[in-house]
Amino acid sequence: MSASNATLSRGRTSSSGVSTPDAGDAPASRGTGRGAPGRRTPSASRRRRIDVQRLFDGALTIPALVVYVGLMVVPVGFAVYYSFTRYNGIPSQSPEWVGFDNYLRIFEDPAGEMHSSITVTVVIAVLGSFLVNGIALGLALLLHRPSKFNSVGRAIMFYPHVLSALVVGFLWQALLGPQGAINALMTQLQGTTLPFLSDPDWALYTLVGVIVWAQFGVQLILYIAGLQAVSPELQEAARIDGATRWQVFRHVTWPALAPTVTVTIITSVLSLLKVYDVVLGLTNGGPGDATQTWAYEILAVSFANNRVGLACAQAVLLIVAAGILSFTIITMRRRADEGAEAA
Amino acid sequence: MSGTGRRRAPWIAAAAVAPLMVLSACSSPGAGAEGDGEVGGEVRMLVNITDNLTQAKWEALVAPFEEETGVDVKIEGPTGQSVAETFPALLAAGTAPDVIESIFPTVDTAPEILDLTDQAWVAETPMVDTYSTDGRTNVVGVGTQAQSVLYYNKDLFAQAGITETPKTWEEFDEALAALDAAGVERPIAFAADWATGVQAQQVWHPQQNLTTPAWQQAVAGGESTLGEQFEPLFEHLSDWIDAGYTTADDVATDSGTQEANFIAGTVGIYPMGSWFTTTLAASPPSFEVGVFTPPVDEASDAPGPIGATLAYPYMVWNGSSNVTSATALVEYLATDEDAIKAQAAMDSFSRPGLDVSTNEYDALVQGLVDAAPELVVPGNQTVGDYALPVAGFNAKFTELVQGLWQGRSPAEVAADLTAWYDAEQTG
Repeated sequence: MSASNATLSRGRTSSSGVSTPDAGDAPASRGTGRGAPGRRTPSASRRRRIDVQRLFDGALTIPALVVYVGLMVVPVGFAVYYSFTRYNGIPSQSPEWVGFDNYLRIFEDPAGEMHSSITVTVVIAVLGSFLVNGIALGLALLLHRPSKFNSVGRAIMFYPHVLSALVVGFLWQALLGPQGAINALMTQLQGTTLPFLSDPDWALYTLVGVIVWAQFGVQLILYIAGLQAVSPELQEAARIDGATRWQVFRHVTWPALAPTVTVTIITSVLSLLKVYDVVLGLTNGGPGDATQTWAYEILAVSFANNRVGLACAQAVLLIVAAGILSFTIITMRRRADEGAEAA
Repeated sequence: MSGTGRRRAPWIAAAAVAPLMVLSACSSPGAGAEGDGEVGGEVRMLVNITDNLTQAKWEALVAPFEEETGVDVKIEGPTGQSVAETFPALLAAGTAPDVIESIFPTVDTAPEILDLTDQAWVAETPMVDTYSTDGRTNVVGVGTQAQSVLYYNKDLFAQAGITETPKTWEEFDEALAALDAAGVERPIAFAADWATGVQAQQVWHPQQNLTTPAWQQAVAGGESTLGEQFEPLFEHLSDWIDAGYTTADDVATDSGTQEANFIAGTVGIYPMGSWFTTTLAASPPSFEVGVFTPPVDEASDAPGPIGATLAYPYMVWNGSSNVTSATALVEYLATDEDAIKAQAAMDSFSRPGLDVSTNEYDALVQGLVDAAPELVVPGNQTVGDYALPVAGFNAKFTELVQGLWQGRSPAEVAADLTAWYDAEQTG
């Protein structure tokens, strides 16, 4: 298969199952007519108009560019700079350049506080994203067909995401605390309670459960959107060919959903890596340091103690980790696609 | 098309320049600043907001000052978790308030705080020497809040056959055992979050200061370690946990709920500061409440030194554009008799030479303070000659001490506390 055919083939078997052209099909020099045989060379005035148009188009991006640079590039740049300093964040006191000291403090972890929060964050990110995506996909398969019941179901499932994460934390704290509603009910019925928030392991898994409850609504909507774009004709064709429901899902629906899965996994992992508000409301990092996430360590420990240099080093590492994870997931997905095409 | 492009050109330029103009306008210094030197204008005061210290009560407190001076006092609550977290953030943003209540200067913030030493009225404020560093004062308070107070349920004590409040650790353990044997649900109660660490320290203040007077200086000078200072306390706590007098549920139960448990009559002993009397007065229990100081090794040493902190600490930001009015406000709050009594009614404290008791429970605590041989500062003090030279002590202490309820040994917790202190000191 030639390269052009391969490009065409990718365009025709897009995730939606709809025959849409991809970038390879787009005209390369739309509007200019440059190089097209049999056409006249544009006049100088026409070229000037084109240049003005390009300048105008470019100028339109300036406000957005200013906002982006001002709100994203500059703060991240400052964070990287501060990560190499000892600084308390007070403008009248100058940062002191300390090189890699903050990073060494993180890697050496002499007080044994950083590495435990990395472990907690990894557990939340891995287990949480698995559960969020599993539950969201399962419910999406149940709720993606249009009906009144499914519309109500979707609204109910999405509702937790509407609540502030802090409120979610306090809400579940009231339900799952030692004297919360659930334990009060259990005491009445069975005379025993469960240590949802008082045992370190229970508290961590309770936290994961609450985060999953609060977050799966968005992934559910993404999966429903992805499922609605899956070609019913392809599914029907597979069924006519004798495929079981599982085979239809495995060989038709799942491949078509792959881009959606990539997006949902990346967004869920990224949001789980920076979990903070729910922790604050539900456990405040406790008991002990059992539920202290990396973001909690940055915001509630380092920043709270005016260790801005250390907090920035922690934040830079979080950005790097999030970037590596995102690119890894995207690369794996691309290789999987290429492998499928080669097969 | 070209005509359209030309017509749009000025708009393009304006669109490009406008954000820069906005940015430069925002960064221009002195916007809204007014001259200083006279009492007047506006003063922003950052305060702690709690169930007792409501916005309405704060506004009522400063109303007479506003009426008398014409100063407009704006009360602001924390935008973060606490005033301690909010103030540095506001400093960093360049929008610090003129007056800051409820926290003390730290190594980081002290350079931003106005030196009040030369104000004549400062010398008359309580605990001024304790909170001074090398004779300089940058924080003043209204009274003294006793920390080392053990509230107890007299009915449950009687039910357990305890006729006298314990003075020594041995008697204390016997009292807990008696309460447990009598079927008391929670012989001693601790609470979650900040409360665990504070309560543990409250229990330990008297003995710790008998064993090592000025222990903070001993730790800072390298003659002792934090682990050595607190390991005996951890052993006591560990014994109580093993005996079931306090359970892991305690450190997952917020202080409000635990206070409600005490008021409901399910708690034998509840360690808490003197501010708990305001809650008791607001919801008086059906039983008689008693108070006593934490135990010491030898009965002859009882009562030991009491941990105490400055009630309603106030500081003035030295970058304020209205330092004169801010200082006048602090003087009013710290010296005006009506203002002092109003603050005592909001969150109780004691003040030498002035009866500020507003309820029977205040009087009980006042009795402990009067009988104490000395008032000593707790470990989280961040200013003065008895301050530990590290930030974040209370939060780390709480985190580590909660490990005892999760099965960690006293030695492990003590070692981690020392390791944390060493790491913080080296930067």
